[in-house]
Amino acid sequence: MFNKLIKKSAGKSPWLFHVNAGSCNGCDIEIVACLTPRYDAERLGFKLAGTPRHADIIVVSGPVTSQTKERVLRVLAQAPEPKVVVAIGSCPQSCNVFKGSYSVEGPLKKITHVDVEVCGCAPKPEAIMAGLVEATKILREKRGES
Amino acid sequence: MMQHFPVLAIFALFLGAFVSSLIRNKTARNGVVVLSVLTSFGLLCALVKPVMLEGEIISYWLGGWKPVADYAIGIGLEVDALSLFFGLVVGLAVIVSALYSFRYLEYDDAQSKYYTLYLILGGGVLGLVLSGDLFNIYVMVEIMTFAAVALTAYRNFMPGALEAAFKYLVIGSIGSTCILVGTAMLYLQYHTLNLAQLSALISGTAMPSSILAFGLLIVGFACKAFLVPYHPIAADAHGTAPSSISVIISGVLTKTGVYGIIRVCYCVFRAMDQSAVQVFLVLLGTISMFVCVTMALAQHDFKRLLAFHSISQIGYVITAIGLSTTFGLASGLYHAMNHTIFKGLLFLCAGCVLHQTGTTKLDELGGLSKRMPKTCTLFLIGAASISGIPPFNGFASKWLIYQAVYQRASETGNLFYVFVVLVALVTSVLTLASFVKVAQSVFFGQLPEKLKDTQEAPAAMRAPMWIFGGLCILTGLFPAVVVNYFTGPAAAAALNAGSYIDAMMGAGYAGRLSTVPVTVPALQINTLGFYDPITWIVLLLTVLLAFTIVSLMGGRARGARIQGEAIDPKYDTFFGGEAGEYSQVGGADLFWGFKHNLRHYFSFMHGAHSGVVNDYALWGITAVAVTVAYMFLFL
Amino acid sequence: MAILTILFYILIFPGLLFCVAVGLLFAGIDRKLVARMQGRVGPPVTQPLYDFFKLIGKETIIPAAANKKVFLAAPVVGLVSLVTIALFIPIKLFMPFNGMMDVVVILYLLCIPSLCLIVGGAASGSPFAGVGISREMVAIIAYELPLAIILLTAGKLAGLGEVTFSFADIELYQAYFGPNLLHWSMLPAAVAMLLVIPCEVGAHPFDIAEAETEICEGPLCEYSGRPLAVFKLNTALKTFIMPALFTALFLGGMGTGMLWLDVLIFLAECVAVMFVSMTLPHAICARLKVEQVFKFYWTIVTGLAICSFVLVWLGV
Repeated sequence: MFNKLIKKSAGKSPWLFHVNAGSCNGCDIEIVACLTPRYDAERLGFKLAGTPRHADIIVVSGPVTSQTKERVLRVLAQAPEPKVVVAIGSCPQSCNVFKGSYSVEGPLKKITHVDVEVCGCAPKPEAIMAGLVEATKILREKRGES
Repeated sequence: MMQHFPVLAIFALFLGAFVSSLIRNKTARNGVVVLSVLTSFGLLCALVKPVMLEGEIISYWLGGWKPVADYAIGIGLEVDALSLFFGLVVGLAVIVSALYSFRYLEYDDAQSKYYTLYLILGGGVLGLVLSGDLFNIYVMVEIMTFAAVALTAYRNFMPGALEAAFKYLVIGSIGSTCILVGTAMLYLQYHTLNLAQLSALISGTAMPSSILAFGLLIVGFACKAFLVPYHPIAADAHGTAPSSISVIISGVLTKTGVYGIIRVCYCVFRAMDQSAVQVFLVLLGTISMFVCVTMALAQHDFKRLLAFHSISQIGYVITAIGLSTTFGLASGLYHAMNHTIFKGLLFLCAGCVLHQTGTTKLDELGGLSKRMPKTCTLFLIGAASISGIPPFNGFASKWLIYQAVYQRASETGNLFYVFVVLVALVTSVLTLASFVKVAQSVFFGQLPEKLKDTQEAPAAMRAPMWIFGGLCILTGLFPAVVVNYFTGPAAAAALNAGSYIDAMMGAGYAGRLSTVPVTVPALQINTLGFYDPITWIVLLLTVLLAFTIVSLMGGRARGARIQGEAIDPKYDTFFGGEAGEYSQVGGADLFWGFKHNLRHYFSFMHGAHSGVVNDYALWGITAVAVTVAYMFLFL
Repeated sequence: MAILTILFYILIFPGLLFCVAVGLLFAGIDRKLVARMQGRVGPPVTQPLYDFFKLIGKETIIPAAANKKVFLAAPVVGLVSLVTIALFIPIKLFMPFNGMMDVVVILYLLCIPSLCLIVGGAASGSPFAGVGISREMVAIIAYELPLAIILLTAGKLAGLGEVTFSFADIELYQAYFGPNLLHWSMLPAAVAMLLVIPCEVGAHPFDIAEAETEICEGPLCEYSGRPLAVFKLNTALKTFIMPALFTALFLGGMGTGMLWLDVLIFLAECVAVMFVSMTLPHAICARLKVEQVFKFYWTIVTGLAICSFVLVWLGV
C-alpha cells in the first residue's frame, strides 16, 4: 500500500552517523558547519543521529588508524540496510599527510566499500553537501532495486 | 449448620498443622496441607452468599457458652462481611503460597516443621479476623507472630536470618504488649472482652482508661501492620524469609493489623467520627506511604524492596480507612485485597528468581527475561498492578482512593487532605520508578556471564502464580463488581456497629445499652469521575487491530527481523564502536538525578535506619508514647 | 449504524487516522518553526512523514542481547494507548467517548507511552538505554507532580464548590464561565502546564532521556527500522496530544456549533500552544542536566501550580 511513499521517502530523510577514524577534527568541524543556518542541511532532511542503528549514511573522516579500524568496521556493520558510506576529506581516500605512518591502516577503500568520496583538506561545506546529495541518490537507487 | 463454618475453617488449619507433622511421606503430607487449606477456604466461600450478599452476621459461642444476664462470658466468633472479606483474602493467599512452596522448598530440609508452622500461622490469622473476642484476638496475634518469627528464621543458614527473626521478635513484642495492655485496661473498666459488648458499653464514655486502651490498641495493630516507625523489621524479615512466607507476612499478617485498626476504630470504640482520629490515621498512612516508597527506591535487594513497598501500599489502605467515609473504607479494603494479590505475585516472582539463580541482589542480576520469559510476564503484570497502570487492579483501587480523599478534602475544606492526595500521587509515581529499577536490574538489561545457564522456573511454581496474575487482571477489569459485592458490604458492615452488637448479644441490646444512638450510614458511593476499563480495552484492541491490518497491508519489511548471534558485530549491542562488554546499569544508581536533589533526605534516612534493634525498639516505644499522648490531648 | 459511527470515531476522527495525520503535521510545523527562528530554511512540513516512511522501509535489526517480544511490542503498545488517550480529550464540546475516563485516568494513561519507551529500552540490553531509561523515569517523576496539581486545580474550579474529575464538567464549566485561561487565578497553572508539555513530549530542552549526543539516543539506541518508526510516531502524537490537553483544560468552552469550525479553531489553538511551549524553548535553550530538570519541576513549576491551586481553593 505504501510502497510508493516508502520509495519516495528513501532519499528524503537521510540521517547521518559520523565516525571519526583518526581525523584531525578539521573535517568534523566542516560537517557541523553544514548544519548551520548558512548551509542548513536540514532543509534536505539531513539529521545527525546518535547511533548507527538510526543511520542511513555513515560519514567517515580520518585516515583509519590501526586503533580505529576495528571500530569503524563494527559501526558500519551495525547500521541497517540500505546504507551508504561517505568518505569526507582527503584522509580516507589517500591517508593524506599521514600516509606511511606505522599506525595508519587506511585508506578506507582498503577495508570497506565506499560509495561517495568528498575530497579536500578540509573539504568546503558546499562540497560536503554535494557529496551528501549524491549519497541520497544512491540511497534511493538502493531502495528502488530491492 | 452455617454458624459452625467459621470455627471449622480455623480448626481445619490447626488440625492440618498437627496432622502434617505426624506424616513422614512427603506426598501424603502435602496432600494433608492442601486438604486443610482447601477445606478452610471452601468453608469460608460457603459463607459468601449469606454474609456478603444477604448481610447476615454469623455468631458462634465456643462450647455453647452464651451470654448470661447480658454479660458475655464465653469466647465468641462473629463473622460479618468485614471479617469474611479479610478471611477470604487470607484463605486465598494461604492456598497459593502453600501450592507454591511444595516445589519452592525442594532443596530445604525440615519441611514438615515448615508446614506445621505455616498452617499454624494461617490458622492464627484466620482466627484473628473471625474472632469476636478481644483476648482471643490477642492470643491469635501471639500465635501468628511466633509462627512468623520462626518461619523468618527458617532458612537459618542465610546470613541475617536469625538476626531478622530476633528483631522481629523484639519489635513484634512491643506490638503484642500494647495489645495485651489495651485489652487488660478495657477488661478492667468494662468487665468484658467481647467486642460486641465492649462496643455497646464504650460508646460515648470517654474515660481515661478507655482512651489509653484505644491508643495502645491502635499502636499495637499498627505494629502488626509494620507501619512507620515499625517498618525496618519488615524489610529484614522479608529479605531472609522464604518467599512463600514473605507472601504471608506481607499479604496476610499486615492485613491483620489493618483489620484490627478498622475493628477497633470503627466498631469497638466507634471513634471515627472524631476528626482527631481521622487525621491521626490519615497522617499515619501518608507518612508510611511516602517514607517506605523512598526507602524502597534506595534498596539493593529485590525482596527488601518489595518489603518496603508492601508497607507503602498499606499506607494507602490506612489513609483511605482514616477518611471515615463508606467510599474511603470501600476503596481502602479494595486496595488491601489488591495488595495481597499483586504483592503476593511479586514476592513469588522474587522467589522464582532466588530459586533459579540463588540470589535476589539487584546488582548481581540482569537480563533474565531471555532465560525466564514466563516469570518475566508474571512480574510485569504484578509490577504494572502495583504501580497503578490501567487496566490492572492497582490502578482501580488507587483511583478510588484518590477520589475518596479528594472528596473528603472538598467536604471538609481542609488542605491537609489535598496534600494527602498529592503525596499519594507522588508515591504512585515513585512506586513505578522503583519497579522500573527492578525490571531493568533483574529482567532486562544485560545478562551476566554466570547466569548464562539459568533455567525457566518450574511450572509447578508458575501455576500458583497465575492464580494471582489472573486475579490482578480480573479484579482490575471489574472494579464495580468488586466494590458492589465484596468491599462495599464489608465497608457497610464495618460502619454498622449496631447490627454487629445485636447479632452477638441479642436483638435490641445495642439500643438498650448504647448511650449514643447507633446510626446506619448511607452506603452511597459517588465517584468524581469515570473509569471504564472494559471499554478502554475494547478501544485499545480495536486500534491495535486496525494498526495490525494497516501494517500488514503496508510495504513488506526490508530485511528479515533476524536476531543473530552476538559474535556477528551487526547484532552486537552498540557500544560506541567497541565490542559489546558487560556493563549493566545496576539498580543502585538508576535514579541519580532524583536522589541527588533529595540527598539530604536520603542521607538522613540512611542514618536513621541503622539496623540496630535497640534503635528500632526506641522508635517503637516513642511511637507508643506519642500516640497515647496524642489521644489524650485530642480526645 | 451505531457501531459504524463508533468505528468511525475510533479509526478516522478523532481516532487513529486523524491523530496520526495531525501529529505528523504538528511535528513538521514544529521543526519548520524552529528552523525559521534560527534563520534557517528548514525541512519541509512533511518531513516527519518522510522520516516515518523511510524508517518503515529500513531493515529492522534486533540485537542479540534484546528480548525480542518486548523489544518489538513496546512501541506498538505505546502508540495504541496514545491513540486511545486522544479519543478522551474533548474538542470543545465534542466528546464522543464521554463518561469513560476522567482526568486522573488520563494522567495515568499518559504514563503508558513513556513506560513503553522505558520497557523497550530496557529490553534492548544496551547500557546507553540503561542510562536513558533512568533519565526518562526521573523526568516522569519530575513532571507528574505539577501535572497532577494542575488537573486537581481544574477539577476544583469546575466542581463549583464540590470537586470533580470529569473532563465533561471541566468543558461545561468553561462553556458557561469562559475559558480557564481567562481566570486570573488559573494563570500560574497555565504557565506550569506550558512548562510540563515539553518534558512530557521529550522535547528540547527537556529531552534528557534521548540526548543523542551524550547517550546515543538513550532508550532508542538499539532501535532501527519499523519499531523505531513507531516510536517516532509516538513522539509526533504526543506533540499533538499534550497541546490538545492544554487546550481542553484552559482554552475549552463553547464551540461555534459547527464541528468542522470547532476542529479548525481547536487545531489553531493547539498550534499556538505548541509554539509557545515547545518551539520557543527548543529554539532558544540548551539541553538541561538531569538533576536540573528535576529541580526545576519540583520547585518552580510545582510552585506555580500550587499558587494556582491555593487561589482556586480559597475561591479567589
